[in-house]
Formats: sequence, structure tokens, C-alpha cells
Amino acid sequence: MLKKTLSFIVVSLISTMIFAQNSEQQNPVQKGHYNISKFRQLKQELPTPNNQHTASGAPGFEYTQQKVDYKMNIILDDDNQKIFGEETITYHNNSKDNLEYLWVQLDQNMRAPNSKTPDINGSGPGVLYSPSKFTKSFMGKPFQGGFNIESITNMENKPLDYMINQTMMRIDLSEPLASGATYNFKIKWWYNINDYIALQGRSGYEPFPDGNKIYIIAQFFPRLAVYNNVEGWQNMQFFGRSEFALEFGDYDVSITTPKDHILNGTGVLQNPKEVFTKKQYKRYEEAKKSFDKPLVIVTQDEAIEAEKGHATKTKTWKFKAKNVRDFAFASSRKFIWDGMAVDMHGRTVMAYSLYPKEGNPLWGEHSTKVVANTLKVYSEHTIDYPYPQATSVNAKRQGMEYPMICWNYGRPNPDGTYTDRTKYGMIGVVTHEVGHNFFPMIINSDERQWTWMDEGINSFVQILAERNYDKDFPISRGIPKGITGYMKGDQSRIAPIMSQGDNVFNFGANGYSKPAAGLYMLRQTIMGPKLFDKAFKTYAKRWAFKHPTPADFFRTMEDASAMDLDWFWRGWFYTTGSNDIGIKSVKKYYITDKPTKRAQNMAKRYGITVDQLPPSLYLVSEDSDEFTNDMKNKKPTDFPNLKNYIDKNFSAQEQKTLKTPKYFYELTFEKPGDLVMPIIVELQYEDGTKERKQYPAQIWRLNDKEVTKVFPSTKAIKKIVIDPDQETADVNLKNNSWPKNTESKFDKFKKQHIKS
Amino acid sequence: MKQSKYVFLFFLIIPLFAFTLHKYYVSLTEIEYVEKQKSVQIITSIFIDDLEVDMRKQSNKVFNIDTKQEIDSIDYYFKNYLHQHFQITINDSINKYNYIGKEYEDNIVHFYLEVPNIERLNSIQIINTSLFESFENQQNIVKINVKDFNKTFYLTKNNDKGLLNF
Repeated sequence: MLKKTLSFIVVSLISTMIFAQNSEQQNPVQKGHYNISKFRQLKQELPTPNNQHTASGAPGFEYTQQKVDYKMNIILDDDNQKIFGEETITYHNNSKDNLEYLWVQLDQNMRAPNSKTPDINGSGPGVLYSPSKFTKSFMGKPFQGGFNIESITNMENKPLDYMINQTMMRIDLSEPLASGATYNFKIKWWYNINDYIALQGRSGYEPFPDGNKIYIIAQFFPRLAVYNNVEGWQNMQFFGRSEFALEFGDYDVSITTPKDHILNGTGVLQNPKEVFTKKQYKRYEEAKKSFDKPLVIVTQDEAIEAEKGHATKTKTWKFKAKNVRDFAFASSRKFIWDGMAVDMHGRTVMAYSLYPKEGNPLWGEHSTKVVANTLKVYSEHTIDYPYPQATSVNAKRQGMEYPMICWNYGRPNPDGTYTDRTKYGMIGVVTHEVGHNFFPMIINSDERQWTWMDEGINSFVQILAERNYDKDFPISRGIPKGITGYMKGDQSRIAPIMSQGDNVFNFGANGYSKPAAGLYMLRQTIMGPKLFDKAFKTYAKRWAFKHPTPADFFRTMEDASAMDLDWFWRGWFYTTGSNDIGIKSVKKYYITDKPTKRAQNMAKRYGITVDQLPPSLYLVSEDSDEFTNDMKNKKPTDFPNLKNYIDKNFSAQEQKTLKTPKYFYELTFEKPGDLVMPIIVELQYEDGTKERKQYPAQIWRLNDKEVTKVFPSTKAIKKIVIDPDQETADVNLKNNSWPKNTESKFDKFKKQHIKS
Repeated sequence: MKQSKYVFLFFLIIPLFAFTLHKYYVSLTEIEYVEKQKSVQIITSIFIDDLEVDMRKQSNKVFNIDTKQEIDSIDYYFKNYLHQHFQITINDSINKYNYIGKEYEDNIVHFYLEVPNIERLNSIQIINTSLFESFENQQNIVKINVKDFNKTFYLTKNNDKGLLNF
């Protein structure tokens, strides 16, 4: 009988819900709509999976990738700041397509007098112009930068047809290059090296007052563009901001410099005995066994001695690098060099730093140790660092990455002192640029197209590495609360993360901080470190030495974790929406066993008497007229029907473990923000204890504006705070607490300030 | 002197070509008229490293803001700096504000400023030229909130003034 009544009530309840909904309809015919749920899948946004980039996010069985090998002879002319090169390129067409032409990147042309880069940037008059800048800008004497292509020939020295379009060059083949075939050709070139302090740029030289220079040379040779399964040729022009898309290959490079220069580059030095002094060579070998601290290979005294000279003789540095996507080097008389060994599960990797005396003592103290730390932490989260070495070069005002070598800023004051700000800035940039070895040098996304895939992901792992180096490291970006200022800004000046880098408003926030904060939030709050780390490592393993796309990342993170994150990618990466969740109201309920009016009405509707209702307990809101003060002191077990049930169904032992809530709170959460996010609730009780509850973002799937939850509690709640640790980038904290916090940030500060 | 000039030039250049460690050049000022207290409350937030560059340039002094080496009289210099770069005019005449204090948070300094005794707010004008001299692309965002009315100004070197009438 009891069962029957209950099922009757349940069925009736469902039917009343339907009736209630129908009665709300006012117009006979309402407008329909497409699926507007924030939890709908990303089918329309992501490219259709295929056998190259699969639905799981892994490379498919038809995935192909080109390979390009380079053999180069380079001459660095220190007296005239010119660089000359002859390169032989071996292009392996591993694709299934026959290629009619090859595209080659001429990045230096961004610096040519006819470059379009200045043309695409609108600007008012400058605040000031140096004489050099003034003559270059307004007096018809621009810097004569850009490649001078002397010859492009096949292996029989016959000239090839080519066409240059700004920073891209098309080489026409006499017959299409068949799938699976290899093509060899040669390019001879030179260019004027820019003073990057005066003329900007990611490479060039830094002049010193005594005439010495530090050369940091990159994007310096004609490099093959990527031909892949999703873009065809990636030959989007280089305007100076969105970086590079490059193929992997093997490099064999000889660089001739003045005899008194010290140089390191991508790969492994093949002739250390020829280029180092005996003493230096001995220290170079000893450093390979020093796992606990860096050893100096080229000393400060040797560097100071070299600075005084100006050799007319030359020497040649020989490098080999396997399976890298680029080559760069740094050269100067001024370089000090130190190094230490890093154990990569039994394989030794070298961490090196090259810096002028102006970088000491800061660089000697930290750079190489930071390189080692970065390699260790990134390897844990991705794959073991596969290359034989990683070098950090001190270059004023730079932060720029290449395979196995990067340029980093940070110098102490002339008297050798430095502030924490200088120190942490330097450690931060070294970590970031060395970290780029993993994203994008190894997990080789297309930087020209997607800034966030290298900068955003790298800025996120950077935080983990910095905290490992120094647990109190002041994290400057990539944590959720740090991005709220950007996200609550004027919508007309925000672009979604999923935008090409040349076309976004706040490049730093868009490409670095917001994606990093998103990943941080995914790891700390939405997925948890265990699930996240496993999925993230899967992505790294799947796409190491390959060309991943955003879809491959999004799909892998879900595929490897069993979490549907489409709502998160959609909101955080594809829209400019922000998060604002608040607590709208709190209602207190008490227990009674007397049928409330609601229950009486229900009985009436179904034609039964109140007595026929099954034995039940009812909740009465504190503000209703059915509430009486005596309800306040009742425990659930004070009610006979519950007591009887418990006695009948639970042993004395079990009864001890039952919770006995005295209060019932109905919490209504509001969500004025566009994004869906988990609700993190902190309940603070009268007795000073606290409790936290986190509801998944899916709590918003049926109502995007407001949801209600009932909390049973044995203790009275004094205060409720939403997202107390600011984990979800909530842009408006005014509605995050109950009772409402009427004291503004300003009032609070003023009060504290006057007190102190 | 030479050194600081160099630093200054460097920052002029950066916005043209983004570096890998790119920064964005914005400050945020939030202004609220609190009717109950009859006061206009201002919180203006600026990146510390950028402010250090601009203040050094102006005064030829090293401040080391928010470091152990920070100079003792930093508030005096902050007040001076704000006095030169941040002006507020209320009801066409009142233009004095109290410097309540500053607060460091990560790489940002928040300044708390207040204009007391404003019975009625008829108009408010803001000029904010902070950092413009050192950073070509500096943008000073000013958000004004009066009762239920919100307005955002984007002040730049070429347009450093925002005016609201009620």
C-alpha cells in the first residue's frame, strides 16, 4: 500500500511538472533555435577528423611529414657586420602529393627597405627619434637589411627559377617532385646584420662601447616552409610577430669567425679540440661529469683578455644536429661559458650558459642551474629532453628561443648588485625560453597560425618549473586571478584565443597569459593534477617531433582522461566571455513532521486525505508563516516516524555514524557571466570550522543563469564564500559572499591603512 | 644617465615587434562615486617595472620599487608622479585628491586615491598620462562607475582625456 501511494505521488509529480511548463507558454507558436547549450560538442568548430589527424587527437596512420636536411658553410664578418652563407638543402617529400614547387622562408626580408611590416602598423608620431632612426625613417636612408640571394642552383650548378614575394620565395621545379622523392639544391646568400638594440629584432648584434659585439644569429638562412596535412604550404607572410613553422631535419653546419670568438649553437660541437685552448677543452670535458654544479669552461679572465684583442685570423666551428627544426648560434669575444651535466634517466644532457662579464655575478649563480631545472621539470610533464644540450645566452633585452639555444635578458647593476626583481625576471625568462625547447621545438605546433599552442602552453609549464626552482617564486602571469583584468575589459578590444597572432589586440594576454591561466585552472581546479598530467603527457608523447593542431590538443586531453571538456575549450578558447558566479540568496529551512501547506495541497490534488500521505518529514522555510520557533531546536531523530525507521533499519553501531542535520540551507547561485565554470563554495560555520564543496560546471547545463542547491548541516552557517581562492577567473567578486560584503576593496584598504 | 636613456629607448621599440616574452602596456583605473560616503574613490593599478622605468626617466633616480632595496621616501615620489600624470576634475572645479596609500600585488602597484565631500556629482574629467612618455603603445584604461552607470575610457598618448557629464 505504502509503495503504491508513493509511486502514485511520483507519477503525479512528473505530470504536474509537465502541466506547469505548459501553462507558462503564452504565445501559441514560439520561435525555435539551434542548439545553444554551452555544453554542445565542438563538432562545428573542430575540423573533421581523418586518417592524418584522428578523432582521438593522435596522429593517424596516413599522417605524413616532410624532412629537410641542411649542410651549410657560414662566415661571420665581425668587421663589417655581415654574414655569408652557402647551403645545400635536401628536401624529402614524404607526403602523398607531387609538389610543383617549394616555398622557402626569407625571414630577413622583414628588415628589407621594401618590407611591408611598417606598412601594416598604424601609428601616430613617435615621442622621440634618435638621429639614426630619423634618417632611416624619414631621410631615405633605411637600413639595407634583407637577404641578398646570390644564386639558387641545382646540384649541377644550373640556376633554378624562383620568385620572391616579400618573406616567401617560391622555387619552381622543372618537373614535379614525386611523392617519396628527394630533391637537392643550393642557395648562396648574404645579408647585413642589424644592430638589434637600435633596430629591434629577435636576432642581430649588441654593440659595446669598446667596439666588441655579441652576435645572436637566428632566422639567418633561407629555410623551407612547412608542407603539411592541414595547411598545404604554410606560407603566410612573416610580419615580425607571429613566429615560425618549420620542418625537422638534420644539420651539418660550419661557422667561421674571428679566431678570438667563443661560439655555441644548435647541436653538438664536433671539433672542440680545434676551437678551445687546451685548458678550455679539459674543462669542457670535465663539465660533462659535474652533475651537482656548473663548472666554468671559458673563464671570466679569459673573456676579458679576449675582449682586448681583435684577431684577424679565423677559426671554424663545426656543428651537427639531428632531428631539429632550426639552427641558431651566438658568437662573441666577450663570452664566458659554463656548463653542468643533467641526468636524463641514464643519458647525460649538458646545460650550458654563455654570457659576458656584464652578466656576472647573476649569470654564474643562476643561469645554468635554471637550464638544468627547466629540463628536468618539463621532461617530467612531457618527454625526456631528447637533445644532447641546452644553452642559455645572455643577450640584452632578449627573450627568444631556438632548438637547444636561446637568448635571455637580465644583467646586474654595473657594481654587480641586483634586485630580486632582476633576479626573478632573469630566472623567469631563462625558464621560459629553455622551456620552448619542448613547445614548439619538439612538440612542433604552427606558431605562425596559433600563438597559444607554444606560448600559452609553455607559459603554463613555466610556472611549474619556476616553483620547483624556488617555491616562493613570484609568478607573474598564467594564474587565473591574474587574467581577470584583461577578461573584464571592453569586448570590442578582446579577440578569442583561437585567433591568428597578427590579428589580436593584447598579444601578451591573448597568446600567453589567458591560455596559460586556462590550463592552470584545468589542472588545479577542473581536472585535478593527476588526470590533467596524464592527459597532458599523452599529448606531448603523441606529438613529439610532429606538427599538432589545436584540435589534436583538445581531443587528446579528452581522449586520455575521459572528461568531456568541449564546454571549456568553447568558452575559454573560442569566445571572449568571462566568468562571474555569485551567491544570490540563502534560505534556512527547518524540519517538521506536520504536513505543510504544500503537502496538504498535493494531497488535495490527488484526492487523498492528509492522513493518507506516507509517513514523511517536511522542510519549512524560516520566513514562511508555517514556521514556529520550536522547530529550531528539533533534531531529525526527535520525529517518531524517522526514529522508527532508523531503529528498524540500522544497527546501533550504524546509527552512531548517521549524520543528524539540524539546518537546511537553500543556496541560490547566480551566473551573470557568459562562461560556465565549476561552483566552489566555502561554508564557514558558527564554531569557526570551514567546509568546501565543488560542483562541476555541468551544474549549469539546464539553466545558464541560476541554480539552487540544498545543504543539510549540523551547524549554523555564518558565512558563505564562492571561489575563495580565486581559482576560476571570476571577474566580479562583489557577489561572491553571503552575507553580502558591503565593504568595498577601497573601504577595506582605507580602514587598514588608517589603523596602521 | 646614459644607461637609463638606453633603457628608455628600448622600451620605445618593444611594442613594434613583439618579443617572445611579450608584455602588454595597459594600466587600469577604477573610479567609483559612493553616494553614501559622498566620496569619489579611485584605485589606479600600474605595472611596477614600467612605472620604475618612467619614474627613473623623470627624476634620474633609482627607486627599486617593491624590492628590499626600495628607497625610503617612495610615497613622496609616487605622490609627485601621480600629481603630474593623473588629474581629476569634478563638477568643473574640484581637482584635489587624497593619496590614501599604495598596495603591491605581484607585479602591480595599486594606488588608492580619494576625493571627499562631493555632495552631488555633475561631471567628472580624467586626464591620465602615466607611462605615455616611455611607452609608445601605453593604454590607460579608466572605468567610471556612478550609481548604475558605467563608462570606460581608453586613454592613449593622442587622446589622454575622458569627460563625463551627468
